[in-house]
Amino acid sequence: MLGFIKKELLMIKGNFKSIWLILIIYLLIGIFNKMDVSFILPFICTVIMISTFSYDNLNSWDAYAFTLPNGRKNLVKSKYLVTILTILFFSILSIPLSILITHLNNLPVNYLEILVTLFGAIFGTLFIISIMYPIIYKLGIEKARITIFVIIFGIAIVGAILIQFVNFEFIPNIISTLSNYLIPILIIILILSVLISYFISLKIVSKKEY
Amino acid sequence: MEYILEVNNVSKKYDTFALKDVSFKLPKGMIMGFIGENGAGKTTTIKIILDIIKTYEGNIKIFGQDKNTELNKDIGVVLDDAFFPEILTPKDIDIIMQDIYENWDSKLYNDYLNKFNLQNKPIKTFSKGMRKKLEIITALSHHPKLLILDEPTSGLDPVGRSEIIDIFQDFIQNEDCSILFSTHITTDLEHIADYITFINNGEIVLSKTSDEILNNFGIVKCSEKEFKKVDKKDYLKYRLNACDYELLVENKKDFKKKYDFKIIDKITLDELMVMMIKGE
Repeated sequence: MLGFIKKELLMIKGNFKSIWLILIIYLLIGIFNKMDVSFILPFICTVIMISTFSYDNLNSWDAYAFTLPNGRKNLVKSKYLVTILTILFFSILSIPLSILITHLNNLPVNYLEILVTLFGAIFGTLFIISIMYPIIYKLGIEKARITIFVIIFGIAIVGAILIQFVNFEFIPNIISTLSNYLIPILIIILILSVLISYFISLKIVSKKEY
Repeated sequence: MEYILEVNNVSKKYDTFALKDVSFKLPKGMIMGFIGENGAGKTTTIKIILDIIKTYEGNIKIFGQDKNTELNKDIGVVLDDAFFPEILTPKDIDIIMQDIYENWDSKLYNDYLNKFNLQNKPIKTFSKGMRKKLEIITALSHHPKLLILDEPTSGLDPVGRSEIIDIFQDFIQNEDCSILFSTHITTDLEHIADYITFINNGEIVLSKTSDEILNNFGIVKCSEKEFKKVDKKDYLKYRLNACDYELLVENKKDFKKKYDFKIIDKITLDELMVMMIKGE
């Protein structure tokens, strides 16, 4: 298992040049737009992890991994674990960067806002990944890219239509009613979605053939 | 005889291709050459043995046990077209494999890297031959008991092939170890394979010791007049060439006793393959 985790980390390390570039662009956007862009960083993890799937696919790593001890299980487990670790790492990294950007823009630092934004970003990223990974394992990265694009595009269209015809004023009321429980509820939803996603991926990979 | 790998009546159906009742046994301490033309079913059979293909009929035993993922720790694998992502380096593979295989031998791996002059650069910068060498030494460096190699010498030049064949011969010095070696470059096998298993169109055509094949099988060259005298049961296949007939016979000596033909040549594995596939 540790070997598989190291493989994922070494692949991210191998891509470090492009990660630095993303970080610099991210800092520049924050400075020039005078805005807090800390929410972007966890989302960058999605891009980084998707690129590891592309490299895996290019060299048929999954088929090779099946021949290693406990290959199928460790393949999925390590991908989810490293994804969570990477999101947490970039989330923690984005706290000082957000503070730095705020200082550089001569704005007052609002710690609560930074943390809330970050939590929202972590929630969003992990939720997206929970949907994406089983699709990637089922269809392969190339077909999954198109499928995920169609799903996101579909959600956006449905959302846009709903906004036109449905009155969403009740949502702030629901949020304020649940305000005391909102964070725990979101955390439970998040953990459940990641766990369900993991077990679905594991089932797909345990039957996968190349 | 103790068998390290037993493939019993394995079948698998696809829309355009099927493996039909594939059976063979690889004894301990032996090298088996698994030959056949491209698309004959070599890779499919190997993928079934290695659990890359899971649904099939039949039974496979490795080290005397029913196939299971726990046994993978003692198997070294080279696949035709699957390996570590090319963004990684040989050093990365060393770091990773230390935590995948209990028996990973970092020193042996690095000795091989030096021997083959493989530098610590991303795999994507390697030539096809260098990649193949890296795959082979990765398969060897956890002291496996069984090596399963799908076209391990493809992409290697004659010098590289000879170096790799030498390593396989060293590996087999340990009498507990065996190799299943699929290839369509049959000349690689003539010097090292103890057994030859020949698959054609998804079916095992023959599985015998190399000595049995190379010493007993023969090619008879004869005229049409002579050919007409030969009983059909005395040859396996025949081919009509420009001006003579070629017959594949299973036992040269018996044939010589029965018929007074002058030209009965020794057979090579290439000729065997061609006669089996193209002959009538």
